[in-house]
Amino acid sequence: MNVRIEEIDGNMVAFLEGNLDTAAAPETEKAMNPLNDVEGKDIIIDCTALDYISSAGLRIFLGILQDAEEKEGHVYIRGINDKVRAIFAITGFSNIFEFI
Amino acid sequence: MGNQIKLDSHGEMLLGQYRKLQPTLEDLAKESYDILRHALREQGIYVTAMEYRVKTEKSLIGKLELKGAKYKSVDDITDLVGIRVITFYNDEVDKVAAIAKRVFDIDWKESVDKRKLHQLDSFGYNSLHYICRLKTGGPRFELQMRTALQHVWSTIEHDTGYKGDVKIPREYKRQFSRLAGMMELIDDEFSRLRILLTDYRRQTLALVKSGKLDDVPLSAETFRSYLELQPFDRLNRRIAAVNQAEIFAVSMMSYLPVLESLGMETLGDVQRFIDENSDDAYQLAISQLAITDLDILSSNSALQYLCLVYVLKHNGGREGLKSLFDIINGESDANEMLADLMMEQAKTQSFMQYVIQQK
Repeated sequence: MNVRIEEIDGNMVAFLEGNLDTAAAPETEKAMNPLNDVEGKDIIIDCTALDYISSAGLRIFLGILQDAEEKEGHVYIRGINDKVRAIFAITGFSNIFEFI
Repeated sequence: MGNQIKLDSHGEMLLGQYRKLQPTLEDLAKESYDILRHALREQGIYVTAMEYRVKTEKSLIGKLELKGAKYKSVDDITDLVGIRVITFYNDEVDKVAAIAKRVFDIDWKESVDKRKLHQLDSFGYNSLHYICRLKTGGPRFELQMRTALQHVWSTIEHDTGYKGDVKIPREYKRQFSRLAGMMELIDDEFSRLRILLTDYRRQTLALVKSGKLDDVPLSAETFRSYLELQPFDRLNRRIAAVNQAEIFAVSMMSYLPVLESLGMETLGDVQRFIDENSDDAYQLAISQLAITDLDILSSNSALQYLCLVYVLKHNGGREGLKSLFDIINGESDANEMLADLMMEQAKTQSFMQYVIQQK
C-alpha cells in the first residue's frame, strides 16, 4: 500500500495505491496523519489506484472526515472503482462523503 | 468638528472629569458586557446582537453643548457607557430585562420603559432603557433592550433625521406613525407565531411519544422528534450483529427527502414502512454483508436497506433503485452500478419472488 500526499491547486491531495486491507491500515493511517491537521484547505483522497478498502480503511477515511468537518473543511473522494464504491454503499456510507 | 464647539467653563469642567474617567469607563463597558453576556448564555437566551460602547469625546461635547447645564458632575451623565441587546422577539426583551435586574443594580428613577410612554394614538420608538450599576459599585451605565424590528425602526428614524432640527410636516409624521404601527404589529405577530409554533412542536412531540403517529405530518421538525425514539436502532443492531459491526452514528435527516419521494406523508406511514419491511431489509443487508468482514456500518444502514426493499416491493426495479440512489447520493452515473449491484443481490430474496409473481 502506497500513500503520497501533495498540495495541488491549494488542495491537499492524498494518492492511495494498492489494497487498504486490515494489515495495511496502521501504516496507511500513519502516512495519512498529516491530513488530520489540514486547516483552510480541502482534502481530496485520490483512489484511482486503490483496489480495495476494508473496515479499517473506512475508519481512517471517517477520521479524516470528522477532523475536516470540525474545521469546516471538505473531504472529496476521487476516482474510486466499482468494488470500493460498493463497499461504501453496502455499509451505508455512500452519502457521507462527497465523491468526485 | 467636535473640537470647533466652544464649551462654557462648566462644560469644560465636565469634559475634564470625563477624560480622567475614561480608562475606568472602558473597563466598565467590557466588564458589564461580559457579565450580561455570560448570564444570558447561562439562561439559554440567544439574541440577535449585543454590543457595547463608551461615549466618544466628540459625542459628549455635542451633548454638553446642548444640555451641559443639566449635569452637576459627569456622574450625572448616565450614558457614558452603553450596552445594547437586540433580541429576536418582544417577550425576550422582558427576559433580558429580568436577567439584567438580577446581575446589576438598577436605578429605577432614571430607567425608562419607552414601550409604555406612547400616547394611545401614537407609535414609534419602542425600547426598554435601564440605568444600571455593577453590584460592586462604580459609575452608572445605560442598558438598551429592544427587538430587531425596533432596532430597524430606530436606525431608520435616525437616518432620516426625523428627530433633527427641521420641522417635519404633519403628513410625513403620519406616514412615520403608520409605518411604526406596522412594525409594532409585525413584532407582535412574530411573537404570536413563535408561541403557536412552540405549542405545535410540543403537541407533535406528545403525539409521537403517545404513538399517535398517523396524526403527525412528516416534516423536518417531526422527523427529528421521531428520530429521538430511535426507530431504526433495532434493525441497525440486528444487521450489525451479523459481523459484530460497530455502528457509526451519522445524521439520518438526509433521508427525509427519500421518504417523501416514496410517498410518505405522516410518521404513521414511516412506522408502517419500518414494521412491514424490516425483515426483508435485514435479509437483503445480510446477503451483502455476511460474505464480507466489514465490521463498521453507518447508522443510516437500516434506513437505506428499508428504502431499497420498499422500492423493489413496489415494482420500482432497477430504475427505481437508480432514482433512489440519485436522491441518497446525488445524481451520478455511478448510481447505475449500485442499482445493478443491489438488483443482483435482491433477486435471491424471498420478497422478490412475490414481486416477480405479481408482475
